[in-house]
Order: sequence, then C-alpha cells, then structure tokens
Amino acid sequence: MAVGIYADRVTKLFRNTVALNKISLSVGKGMNIVIGPNGAGKSTLLRCIGGLYRPDSGSVRVFGKDPYYDDEARGRVSLLSDNYALYDKLPVIKNLLFFGKLYGNSNTETMNMSRIFLKKLDAYQYIDRKAGELSRGTKQKVAICRALLGNPDVFLLDEPTAFLDAASAEKVHLMLEDFAAEGKVVLYATQRLNEAARFNANLFIIKKGRISKSLRHSDLYGSILKGARINIKLADPLTDAVARKVPHFNAALGSNIRITVRNYKDINEAIKYLIGNGAYIVSVDYSEPLIEDML
Amino acid sequence: MDLKKSYAVMMNDLNEVFSSKAIYMPMIAVPVFFALLFPLLTFYISTYNLSGIATRIIGTAEQISSTKVNGAVFMSYFAVYILGPTFMTMPIFTASVIAADSFAGEKERRTSEALLSTPVKTSELLVGKIFASLLPTVLLTLVVFAVYGSTINYLAFRTFNTYILPTTSWILIILLSPFLSLAAIGVVVLVSSHVSGIKEAQQISSLLVLPVMVLPFASIFGIFDLTPSFFYGVLAFLILFDAVIIYIGIKSFRKENIL
Repeated sequence: MAVGIYADRVTKLFRNTVALNKISLSVGKGMNIVIGPNGAGKSTLLRCIGGLYRPDSGSVRVFGKDPYYDDEARGRVSLLSDNYALYDKLPVIKNLLFFGKLYGNSNTETMNMSRIFLKKLDAYQYIDRKAGELSRGTKQKVAICRALLGNPDVFLLDEPTAFLDAASAEKVHLMLEDFAAEGKVVLYATQRLNEAARFNANLFIIKKGRISKSLRHSDLYGSILKGARINIKLADPLTDAVARKVPHFNAALGSNIRITVRNYKDINEAIKYLIGNGAYIVSVDYSEPLIEDML
Repeated sequence: MDLKKSYAVMMNDLNEVFSSKAIYMPMIAVPVFFALLFPLLTFYISTYNLSGIATRIIGTAEQISSTKVNGAVFMSYFAVYILGPTFMTMPIFTASVIAADSFAGEKERRTSEALLSTPVKTSELLVGKIFASLLPTVLLTLVVFAVYGSTINYLAFRTFNTYILPTTSWILIILLSPFLSLAAIGVVVLVSSHVSGIKEAQQISSLLVLPVMVLPFASIFGIFDLTPSFFYGVLAFLILFDAVIIYIGIKSFRKENIL
C-alpha cells in the first residue's frame, strides 16, 4: 500500500500543553479514520498533516514532502476543519471563486465544480446567499465543496458531518467512499463510534496526544464490545432457571435479558441458546460505550 | 510568486471590507466630512475672526499688524501647516482599520484555516493583504486631499482672488501618505501574532498617529518649521522605517500567527 501520509514522532506543544506526543503513523490510500475523545489531538494532528502547524519535533511528510514548507505538497491536500472558515459577509459563490483561484482554477472550472458538488450535497440553491446567513449544516456543505475544489489527493476532514442531518451525512459518507475508491487518501477525524463503524477503514485511536491503537475496521467491534452489556428483549419472560443458563448472563429484568460479552461473537452464542430454548427475540441493543472507555 | 493569487487575496479582502457599510461608511464619510469642514472653518477664521485667533496664536494685534498677517496668509498657513499634518493621521487610521481587519480579522473570524491550507505562499498572502490595505487608503487619501485642497482654493479664490494650494510642503504631505499607511500596515503585520482580535491590532497601530499629531502644535509653537526640507527628512525617515518594519514583519510572520 502506497504511503500518502507519514508522520514520525510528531510532537506539538501549545505553551505547556502537549497536544501531540511523539505520534507516528502511516496513512495509505483509501479510507482512514482517526477516532478519539475531545481534546485527544485529532484536530492538531490533521493541521500538522495539512501544513498549518509546524511540529515542535518530529516530521510530517505528504507524498514525501513537508506540507508546512512545500506549497506543492499542500496543493495536493485539502483540509476541512471543524469550523467552516467561510467569509460570512460574502456570498457562497464569491467564497468558492476565491478559493478556486488559490487552487489555480479558472472561474469557469470553479463554477462547474461548485455546481456539481453543491448539487450532490443539495446546497446549490444557496449559491448566491451570503455565507453568514446560512445554517451550520449548509455552511458545512459549502465548506466540503470548497475543500474539493483543489481536486486533492489527500482529503483531511475534521468532524465533517457534525452539523448535518442523517441524510446529508450519508451523502457526504458516500462521496468520501467514492473518493477513497478512486485511490485517494481520506483521513477522517471523528469522536463518534457509529461513524467510525460506518466505513471499512483503517482506524487510528488517539488519546491524550498519542496513537493508542491502530486497528482494521473488523477489529473495531472486538474493541467496542469488550465488556459491553447487551440487552436482549424477548417476547415473553424466561423462567429463572433458563435465564441463568444464557451464556454470559448478567441479569434478567422481566422480559429483558442482559449479558456481558467479551466480543461480538458472544452475542451469537447467547442468541443461539435463547432460540434453542423457544424464546422469541424482539430486539438486541447495546449502549454504545463512551469513546474514552474503549481506549 | 504568483501575483494572480496575491491579486485574489487582495480582492477578497477588499470585498470583505467593502461588503459592510458599517466598516467602510465611517472610514470614507468621516475624513471627507472633515475635508470639507476644516477648510470652511479655516475660511471663516481667516475672513471673520482673524484678529481674535491670530492674536492667540501669533501674538498681539501690533505684532500681527507689523508682520502683515492678512486673511490669505493666515488661510495659507492654516491650510498647509495645521490641516496638512492633521490629515496625515488619516492614512494611518484607515490603513490600521483595513489591515487589522485583514490580518487579525482572519484570526478572529477563524477564516484563516481554509486560506492557509491552500497552496498559497506566505509571500503571496502578505503581498495581497498589504496591497488590500494600502490601495484603498492611498485612494481615499488622494480623494480627501483633493476635496480639502479644492475647498481651500475655491474659498480663497472667491474671497482673496488667489489660489493657495498646492505648495511644495502640501505636495510632500500627500507623498508621505503611502509611507504612513505602510508604517501602520507593517505594525499590524508585526503584532498580528501577539493580538487576539481586530481591536487590539487597531489600537496598537493607531499609536503611530501620536508623533504626527505633534506636528501642528510644533508648528504653532515654533518647535519645528514645517518647511519642504523638514518633510523631505520625514519622507527619508519613513522610507527607512517602513523598510525595516515590513522586513521584520515579513520575516517574523508565521502562518500560525493568524490561526
């Protein structure tokens, strides 16, 4: 797998606060997720990779070049930050034309690209509105469009769907999947487990400025569900004797059986036992653990 | 350096500033208003209240009489040596407002992240932003001096049958304006890493008006003689000052400064 992004022992300080602590990672083509709680260092990591911050020590390379100093390297990267960074007093189209020029596009090229991306995101109708008059979700869509104007090889996204409704978020997810399928590098920072689980991606779990784990998507539920409590709702309550024999049994509350699992495979085991004993399952639920708890 | 990108940065900044009446109206209307009001006051004093004010400024009625101070001479003195330095503060204030909005404003509004993540070079960014502050300031200064000069000449010609402006000192005052603007912009670039918002940047760069405000009083009290050679000296000093402050500003400018 070709390495698009390479970070080697990157440390970034803000006065006495260590935002990144000797982080090393290699990010290849396709979909990659950085997941971690608030203040873990996700945004700082993306800004170092995007060439906005110069690491205090260590190095960042994007296709072998330092994005802080190398304008060409930065030209291959688009960073969508967690704020929309739009010029509120200007109409959407003026915002986009300005950034198009900085990416070296002609106005016609920018107009055409904007039309395509905004229509995909269902925001084309706002093209003449001042950015400051838009809702947060629409601003986010415009910011996504702006980030795509540079036709980047590396797309860095910091919580890009934070203010989007479910349908719009899914449109963005699909766009990103297409982008990754084209062989581009997508690095997506989020603190939502369900969003991380949405993609077939490489996962980097970040905590207190360090990469605590690096996983494949398939390992995620192994981590998430380790020690998780699963609630299985049945049509009718079980007898106490049968309930207590449910594999990984934790508690029985009326028609609900609670089990504590080591990984997702334990759920199948419990369900198999319940069906074998004539129970009818209405739902299987689990409380998604806090991201802090799974690290 | 791609000047097209600098031009795009400049136009974007100008669009931002001139998209808000609240910013550009006072910036234009106030100096233009004073460019009309001050010459009218000068005219009024020269025509109707010369002896009173001249006595206070120059001396006794006998001295005035002996130095043959008349309305035209007084109006000329006031127009060049009092109003000229007063209007010299305008490029500093105007450039401070625009430059602070351009540099510290990006920081305050958090728009710089997207800007700095594009392949724009720091030099392209700085050139664009410096010209976005300099050009409107110079244009506005020319307009203000044209209004105030025309008003003075119109009134002087009607009453004294003579034109007062331009004089060499007055032209030199106009020539100083871009350099005063650059000084204010240089200060904003220099302090952009240390301020958190527009107001702080404006306040710091506006301090440059203090030495300029001294000039009319220094002229009245005879501390400086505002002759052309004095203004040539100021011009030489400002060129040097601007070169140093812009150089230090650019050298010390880091992208993180406006993040």
